Amino acid sequence: MEKKKKSKNKKKFTWVNLAQLLTVAAFLLWMQWAVDSGRVLTIFVASPTSIVEEGIEIITDGTLWPHLLLTIQEALAGYLSAVVAGIAVGLIWTLFPVSEKYMNVFCSSIMAVPKVAILPLLILWFGIGFQSKAFLVFLFSVFTILYNTVTGTKECKKEYLKVAKVFKANRFQTVFLVIIPAALPSIFNGLKLAAATALTGVLFSEMQSARAGLGYLLTESQNLLNTPRMFFLIILITLLSVGAVKLIDAIEYAISYRWRHV
Amino acid sequence: MPAISIKNINKTYIDQDGNEVQALHDINLDVAEGEFVCIVGPSGCGKSTLLEIVAGLLDATGGEVMLDGQPVRGTSRDIGVVFQDASLFPWRTVRKNVAFGLEIAGVPKEGREERLKRYISMVSLNGFENKYPAQLSGGMRQRAGIARTLAMNPKVILMDEPFSAVDHLTKCTLQEELINIRQAENKTVLFVTHDINEAVFLADRVVLLSPRPSTIQKIYEIPLEQKRGRNDPLLLKIAAEIAKDINSGGQDIPNNYWGNL
Repeated sequence: MEKKKKSKNKKKFTWVNLAQLLTVAAFLLWMQWAVDSGRVLTIFVASPTSIVEEGIEIITDGTLWPHLLLTIQEALAGYLSAVVAGIAVGLIWTLFPVSEKYMNVFCSSIMAVPKVAILPLLILWFGIGFQSKAFLVFLFSVFTILYNTVTGTKECKKEYLKVAKVFKANRFQTVFLVIIPAALPSIFNGLKLAAATALTGVLFSEMQSARAGLGYLLTESQNLLNTPRMFFLIILITLLSVGAVKLIDAIEYAISYRWRHV
Repeated sequence: MPAISIKNINKTYIDQDGNEVQALHDINLDVAEGEFVCIVGPSGCGKSTLLEIVAGLLDATGGEVMLDGQPVRGTSRDIGVVFQDASLFPWRTVRKNVAFGLEIAGVPKEGREERLKRYISMVSLNGFENKYPAQLSGGMRQRAGIARTLAMNPKVILMDEPFSAVDHLTKCTLQEELINIRQAENKTVLFVTHDINEAVFLADRVVLLSPRPSTIQKIYEIPLEQKRGRNDPLLLKIAAEIAKDINSGGQDIPNNYWGNL
């Protein structure tokens, strides 16, 4: 368990940081110069100023919002149902080991299928709208969450289980008062991994076949050779992905900071 | 009637190479009510195995453990265990760790308060009730572990090298506090240690186990009052005797023991 030291939070600005900033600045300047001077075609690279202009434009004229909102909704619907299902099945497996024996082979078989290969089938079943996207996101995330939950419960320290046994805790008490709290770090690890793949899933399916969403917007910008917009969307999607992981980090911290970060 | 009666306990297990290993061989031991018995022996001799069998955490290959004349099957709330590293739950505060057993047993919240207060102050953890284990020293964690066991008011307390991970000074304090607790609560205690000085300082009787397959090599009576001086000549004499016997391992090995501890 990593303890965050106070000194780590109050980092000093060193000459290494300065060099890093200068490198980024130099790179951006080079992009700007290369495009403006015509040495690189605007189809291939967008200048930083054009990216910012394009971003401001699609934000202010309202082009972006419906797409952004839809993507977030699809991702959230799929992800949250995967969180519920993944943790619930993980709990059932832990409570009733025979259920794991029975279900594991099915779950690992479905997990082994590259999910993108199922997309055409999902489109046949659910159409190219919201449902097929959410379902693909669900498939992308649920196994990561499930197996991280199960691994976490199996790695519970033997000493903790002995304490539970000595006090004659029943199976439910042992699972909910001992095994689950002990497995929280692993469960949250799964939630974070799954959040990043959930976003990948929704974007992929939107790029394949959709009428809206950030993935659709990205493919459309490519077709229209709108390179600044593509750059802007890539940055936006990256921020979304980082933001999602940071949000889960914050939730984990709020739950466990008192005993893990002292 | 003895509080704990260990009858013909045998333990054989299969090691990683598939060989049968006999850890314990025909162990017979009666512990009277209110008695403090220490089990010592060379490392790997099966002291902890024996304790886990009495606790009901391990099944014996043969023999049985009786509590007040009744055979013990599995763990029992009348037998409390204090573990080597305290094994507190890091996500629970001291108070909630101490309350764990009561919570499991379904003792209503109103009934818990008084007991928690009593045992937390008995182990001198007043003011630390809301701290998490990571915020405590090793000695304090072990005190919390002891309070957690005491709170259930078991008839017998089993302790598995509880002070082996703390520094010497803390260890001495904890030993003295344990004697006080024992006097206040009048518990039957079975205490495993590899520290001979600790054993003779705490116990009414010290049981020496031989190397495996472990049998009871010798039992030493310590005819001193519960609160005794660490330098009592008799204590030192018995300790020297145990140290001598432990080195011989019950066999005729040339003995290099120097006669001081």
